[in-house]
Amino acid sequence: MAIRASIGQYYSVDSPIHRLDPRVKLVGTLAFMVSCLFVDSPATLLLAGTAAFTAIALARVPLRRLLSQIRPVALFLVITSVINLFLVQTGPVALQLGPVTIHADGVSAAVLYTARFFLLLLGGSLLTLTTIPVALADAAEKLLAPLERMGVPVRQGTLVLSIALRFVPTLSREAENIVAAQTARGADLENKGALAYARACVPLIVPLFASALRHADNLGRAMDSRCYTGGARTHYHVMRLDPQRDGAACLALALYLAALAALRIA
Amino acid sequence: MTVTEVSETAEPATPSTRPAGCDRPAGPHIELRGVRVSYPNAPSEAIGGIDLEIPAGQYVCILGGNGSGKSTLLQLINALTLPSDGEVRVFGMDTSDRGAALAIRSRCASVFQHPEDQMVTSIVADDVAFGPENLCVPQPEIASRVDASLEAVDMLDRSQSDPADLSGGQTQRVAIAGALAMEPEILLLDEPCAMLDTQGRSDIRAVVDALRTRGITIVHVTHFMDDALDADRVLVLERGRIAFDGTAAEVFSDVGLVRALGLEAPRKPEEILRVAADRTVSRAPGNPRVTFDRVSFSYAAARNPRRRRGLFGGRNRGKDASAAPLALEELSFQAFPGTLTALVGQTGSGKSTTAELACALKLPLSGAIRICGVDTADLDRRADIRRHVGYVSQLPERQLFAETVFDDVAFGPRNMRMPEDEVRSRVCEALSSVNLAPTDELLSRSPFSLSGGQQRGVALAGVLAMRQDVLVLDEPMAGLDPEGRRHVRDLLRALKRAGTTLIMVTHDMEDVAELADRVIVLERGRALMSGSPAEVLPALLVSEEVGVHGDSR
Repeated sequence: MAIRASIGQYYSVDSPIHRLDPRVKLVGTLAFMVSCLFVDSPATLLLAGTAAFTAIALARVPLRRLLSQIRPVALFLVITSVINLFLVQTGPVALQLGPVTIHADGVSAAVLYTARFFLLLLGGSLLTLTTIPVALADAAEKLLAPLERMGVPVRQGTLVLSIALRFVPTLSREAENIVAAQTARGADLENKGALAYARACVPLIVPLFASALRHADNLGRAMDSRCYTGGARTHYHVMRLDPQRDGAACLALALYLAALAALRIA
Repeated sequence: MTVTEVSETAEPATPSTRPAGCDRPAGPHIELRGVRVSYPNAPSEAIGGIDLEIPAGQYVCILGGNGSGKSTLLQLINALTLPSDGEVRVFGMDTSDRGAALAIRSRCASVFQHPEDQMVTSIVADDVAFGPENLCVPQPEIASRVDASLEAVDMLDRSQSDPADLSGGQTQRVAIAGALAMEPEILLLDEPCAMLDTQGRSDIRAVVDALRTRGITIVHVTHFMDDALDADRVLVLERGRIAFDGTAAEVFSDVGLVRALGLEAPRKPEEILRVAADRTVSRAPGNPRVTFDRVSFSYAAARNPRRRRGLFGGRNRGKDASAAPLALEELSFQAFPGTLTALVGQTGSGKSTTAELACALKLPLSGAIRICGVDTADLDRRADIRRHVGYVSQLPERQLFAETVFDDVAFGPRNMRMPEDEVRSRVCEALSSVNLAPTDELLSRSPFSLSGGQQRGVALAGVLAMRQDVLVLDEPMAGLDPEGRRHVRDLLRALKRAGTTLIMVTHDMEDVAELADRVIVLERGRALMSGSPAEVLPALLVSEEVGVHGDSR
């Protein structure tokens, strides 16, 4: 179920962030995530952190909900942090414990790199929590529309993506059922070598694959009968830039980026 | 993209040009003339010469066994299948003509069997909007159509939900809303209730009933005889031909005809009660094979039944989770050899959870489950438990995996480390018991090449071949036609006679009346009632609210 949690569940509440045009949100989030990579000092970290938490407060998404999205990668964050702490051997010695020395640069790398990656993830999670998947797909479609002229099937691509998201919970539930059924027939995945393990997985993987094909078949028929052609279609969600709300968001983003650049140069 | 392009495509669907029943074309909505359909490599025609006219506004129910061509007939109407011979005209358009398919589908919507396979997105309202979007309906109108359609199926309050969080019946209502949002003149329903519980089924029936007043032509393919009672006209298909065309009263009043057509007359609650009252319930001889002793279970605190509790999965884990909602609370019962215990209840009542606990696929949070004297929590004797208890999951044909029927049925016995000649004899016997002759031809076929009913048989045989003392079945009749249901009932009776202990999750009160010796009614994880069918069924069939309704997600 970790996949479902990390791919993002829309958190339904009315907030200025929820109401932003999805294109603005998508571009803004990507810009913020990239900007996190330029965080290299306590001052810039403070700036990025302030920006992120202001957005979170505006979005009225509970912090706990946001953190639970990030939990699957938390362990990864901790490990990189610890590696940084011990492997960065420059700067004055901060702590000496027998053979282990920890340098000041190690400490700052451990804190800074982890913190900026954490902010980056927060930004991404906030986007998926405050934007419904369809709106996100529509936004990506609009933003990538120029590629369509170069023959890239953008519209179909974004639909494929939203369908894939839609089927994650269905397939994961089916996988659980298949595991239960085959376990009851004595399938055993424990205490096996790699090759035997792979062979033991066949009774689980084949039905799951067959199931995915069956879904594809049924879904294709359902989409056909609902007149999907891959051609021109209208959209339920209108994307209209609101000069005040979206303008303010763009302005805030621009100011943030400018401030970050200023701090980097200074 | 130019503006003209859009308005052109939008034209056939513009609702303002569509009268609400005043000046419909005089001719029939749907017209089939000498239609035949044959698939390459298939031994017989799927449709073998059908002539049919359906006038506007009629509600037609199509009955018939698996493989009788019902679904093919529906697919012919909205041009998902084209006739190999003859012609199909819908709204006067020939489905084989270029461009006719889209024009027909824009006025003729479909709802299919599997609710989850019709959901395109992860928000209910967006899914309903999918059809109108494809028809290039302007945005403000899409919004009003979405709201109106969800209102019509009573799902407006769930418009922002994820379909994955809805029950099967609710999802199917969303699928119907998606069809209605296209403002169709014809609605094709392809077994929309086959995968639903009783509650879901009666909800869909209410929705369909309401649609008839709008003058929509409805063609409804179904396995449920009581659906046909509401229809203006009943068609029965048999091997690709129309075997009966008339009213429900005509067909069901003739017992001989019902049998000849492979149907079953719908039963009224009184008749079901009579069946239950007339049957003698097996008394419990000997020791119980399955014992639930004050068993509780919670999904939040679930432990992995296959792994030993290690460093991190210590005993205190149960304490943290005590606040989590319990899927099952203090359930106690015993199941004896040669008896069938039926578990009934609403969605989320804990029936399927109980079934999985009884096969040691889940371990209880508190309390104990003993199977043939072995505690399911005793991991050292897990192999013993597997030898004693078999599990038939929902839609068991979905677990087929092997290259041949033989290998699939032999999977269980081989896992029990049986000699190969013993495996062979068990495979043949198990297949015979599900009415499949174990010829070399069948044994070497791929299970995926079989029909749906045969796949169910092979999957059942795969469990029966292990010859366990206890068999747990989770809705074994779901999606079967009357003939298939009869076979499974006969099979369960034979197993009971042979002394097997059966535990069956079901939402069909007829199955309970016919087969059960003991019924346990679950509601929100607690046993609401238990007793013999004659004791429990009157209460279940009288009050609509009490857990008659099952869950078949």
